[in-house]
Amino acid sequence: MYFDIADPSFSVQSEQVRKARDENWYAETNYGVAVLRYEETRLLLRHPKLRQGSARWPAHHGITSGPFADWWANWVLNKEGEEHHRLRRLMNPAFSRRLIDGLVPRFQALAAELVDGFAEPGRCEFMSEFASPYAARVIAIMLGLPEEEWPVLARDSATIGLAMGVTLREDLPRIEAALDSLYGYVDEAVDRRRSDPRDDFVTRIMRAQRDEDRLTATELRDSLVLLIFGGYDTTRNQLGLAMQTFLDHPDQWRLLAERPDLGPAAVEEVMRVNPTVTWVTREALEDFTFQGLDIAAGTTLHLFTEASGTDPRAVPDGRFDITAERPPHFGFGGGAHHCLGHFVARSDMSEALPLLARRMRDPRPGGPSRWLPRSGNTGPIELPVAFTPAE
Amino acid sequence: MKVTVDLDKCQDHGQCAIAAPEVFRINDEGRLEFDDAPAEELRDAVEEAADVCPVQAILIED
Repeated sequence: MYFDIADPSFSVQSEQVRKARDENWYAETNYGVAVLRYEETRLLLRHPKLRQGSARWPAHHGITSGPFADWWANWVLNKEGEEHHRLRRLMNPAFSRRLIDGLVPRFQALAAELVDGFAEPGRCEFMSEFASPYAARVIAIMLGLPEEEWPVLARDSATIGLAMGVTLREDLPRIEAALDSLYGYVDEAVDRRRSDPRDDFVTRIMRAQRDEDRLTATELRDSLVLLIFGGYDTTRNQLGLAMQTFLDHPDQWRLLAERPDLGPAAVEEVMRVNPTVTWVTREALEDFTFQGLDIAAGTTLHLFTEASGTDPRAVPDGRFDITAERPPHFGFGGGAHHCLGHFVARSDMSEALPLLARRMRDPRPGGPSRWLPRSGNTGPIELPVAFTPAE
Repeated sequence: MKVTVDLDKCQDHGQCAIAAPEVFRINDEGRLEFDDAPAEELRDAVEEAADVCPVQAILIED
């Protein structure tokens, strides 16, 4: 089985992928090997002979210097070994669950405000009226910056997202302009907390220290811009995908409205069957053999999160059920590079979904939707939804 | 200090081994190994490891 995963019409959720998964745990692609089953994805995510697979992406497009290449090289995601562990140790405490728990009332108020603000009763364009402002304003809340500036965060993050596409080289001037704009934004956040420190995320990450070691000014800026970029688009898309999944499962939506305590389980179940990060990449550090497959040094592996999460070997019932016990999904990656911001994403989406279920009864498609390709990082571009309003 | 890990929950992500390498490590098979009675001076690092665990599987007693 062979997949052309660079083809925009290729879908990780297609019948072709399901069939390949029945036949074998992997398939060949034009970018290396696609991994399709639960157990193999679980093992390869944290395999010691693999590194995270995106470090050389700019270089593959001939970009080896300049602000974008420098920023990319400084991502914690693109570091390995002790260099990675040092950054992770310094950054982790700012993302602690306790600190995020304190923001829950703000997430709830924000979700309610956005639903109250829908332009029309009984319908909305879910992405621009909820998912985008919610995701961007959560980041503004984290950074202690005025929430009304959210369109700037959303716009610049989307522009930087072009860097994930195959037209990276042509888009580079726009990407670097957006990067410059976000650096300005995070510099303002840091300046504010320098003069007015609080028990908040920015203050914590600025003061992050382990023994005598601290983040340098450059590492701090690069990490905060990565946080905006990494946190905004994924959350926005995942909320849109959640809405899509619940549109297909109205009984589950009604249940969530009645039982808001199922919010966290709903997030996990949505990310299992409809993750925005459709694959996690890894790169072989040396030649090795895994389950009978010879993998040469430098081979890229794409671990398909949805195919693995819905693998009947791991989830035999094949249902979408927010009350069922499920094995952990791969929507946040795993191993040393496990998503740094997962407590934030889990918390803000766990608050948003039950509130939406309560306020938007009987949701149904409200017109034609537009979608990103079902590969890479996916999600709706526009998702009109009609519903029965409720308090 | 007594450390326990809920091995039913543990997914061997190894974030604890990054936070507190003196106490937790991922072995060559990719599985977690840990010291269940670490020295008191490692408390901050162990608390950090418990905090950062993606599945919140680490418990510190006394």
